Amino acid sequence: MGPLEPQHLLNPELNLLIASIIGFGFGFLLEASGFTNTRKLAGVFYGYDATVIKVFFTAGLTALLGLFFLHYMGWIDITLTFFPKTFWIPTLVGGAIMGLGFIVGGFCPGTSLSAAATGKVDAIVFIGGVMIGIFGFIFSYEAVWETLRKSGNMGRVNIAEWIGMKEGLFIFLFVVIAIVTFIVYQKWQDSWKKKMSEEDIDDLGI
Amino acid sequence: MKRREILIMGLLLVGGVIAIFLPDTKAHEHIISKKELLYDLNRSDRYMSTDELAKAIMEGDQSYMLIDIRTPNEYKKYSIEGALNIPFDSLMTENNKWKFDLDQNPQTPVLYSNGSSKADQAWLKLHSFDYKNVKVLKGGLNEWYMTILNPQKPADDELTGQLEEQYLFRKGAQVYFTGANPVGNGGSAKPKKASTKPIVKRKKKEVSGGCG
Repeated sequence: MGPLEPQHLLNPELNLLIASIIGFGFGFLLEASGFTNTRKLAGVFYGYDATVIKVFFTAGLTALLGLFFLHYMGWIDITLTFFPKTFWIPTLVGGAIMGLGFIVGGFCPGTSLSAAATGKVDAIVFIGGVMIGIFGFIFSYEAVWETLRKSGNMGRVNIAEWIGMKEGLFIFLFVVIAIVTFIVYQKWQDSWKKKMSEEDIDDLGI
Repeated sequence: MKRREILIMGLLLVGGVIAIFLPDTKAHEHIISKKELLYDLNRSDRYMSTDELAKAIMEGDQSYMLIDIRTPNEYKKYSIEGALNIPFDSLMTENNKWKFDLDQNPQTPVLYSNGSSKADQAWLKLHSFDYKNVKVLKGGLNEWYMTILNPQKPADDELTGQLEEQYLFRKGAQVYFTGANPVGNGGSAKPKKASTKPIVKRKKKEVSGGCG
């Protein structure tokens, strides 16, 4: 609970309890919306399922607009929110690894846990891989990763400020880009559906 | 495309268009309401007296942070021991720059200027940002000079009880801050004692203060 716990408005036990409840809800919704299905997740890369892209873009845009408007109305102070520094090189490398893992494994870390809870063996194996990755990173951090991890530090970047654009205009352009992506992707998805039936997609074995 | 999706996209687009016309995000100002401000303005505990300040400095009390809001030139000529110089204009215009020093600091910032009025203005500005524990040195440097650096001896018939105690404390503080020779100043034996007296007096005060 971001703003409450660091300011001691919430005791750590209650904080954990609330975190657990939110965690259960998150896991439940991931499962309920089909995100624990590897085909659905991998589909975003093959072009036959746009759910993931829609969900993430919509969530991002809603939060973006919501925070911006709430700040304008004086309900929250966005300058007090925390966001980490940008290290563009490791972010790029990490993003590539993450994307590769996503398409090969068919899970992202959160959905793998939800899927494991439903008893999917591939998800359990995936979690094993995640663990190998985590511990491998920890033990080779100083030898291999440290220089990469600290390279390309840009400090705390507000993209609009960095480009030198008015924030509202940037938000508008971002919304437009998202909507264009939605539409183009939808077209791509539709052309897939025309080409092959649901069974064919299942037969891809992804 | 489903109708629901078109609706969501439409809403997002409307939001985006509205966003163009809104100003960039900046830290909120004037969080505190006028009513609260007025109430706090009349509270006497927003002031720190020169005696309290002298006592805090002499005791090495680290819970206060002195802020000299005069110009850097004035600051160079004279400033109270341990004061940080944040010029008034800078404080008013580049408020964010000093936020770390002035807001929710474990130390209580005490503002002073030559008199009280400038420091009061600065206090008002800072308090309107809801910086809660900022104080003002009552009377400023003028008062500091009159009471601590150059304390006036009260008339002999008034020199009893609390007034005497206060005078002796101030004499002691004068020695502490200026290195003045107490004999040369006062002439009588009393000020001589004063150089060691404040500590004794303070202790007395604290005991009489009880559980405060």
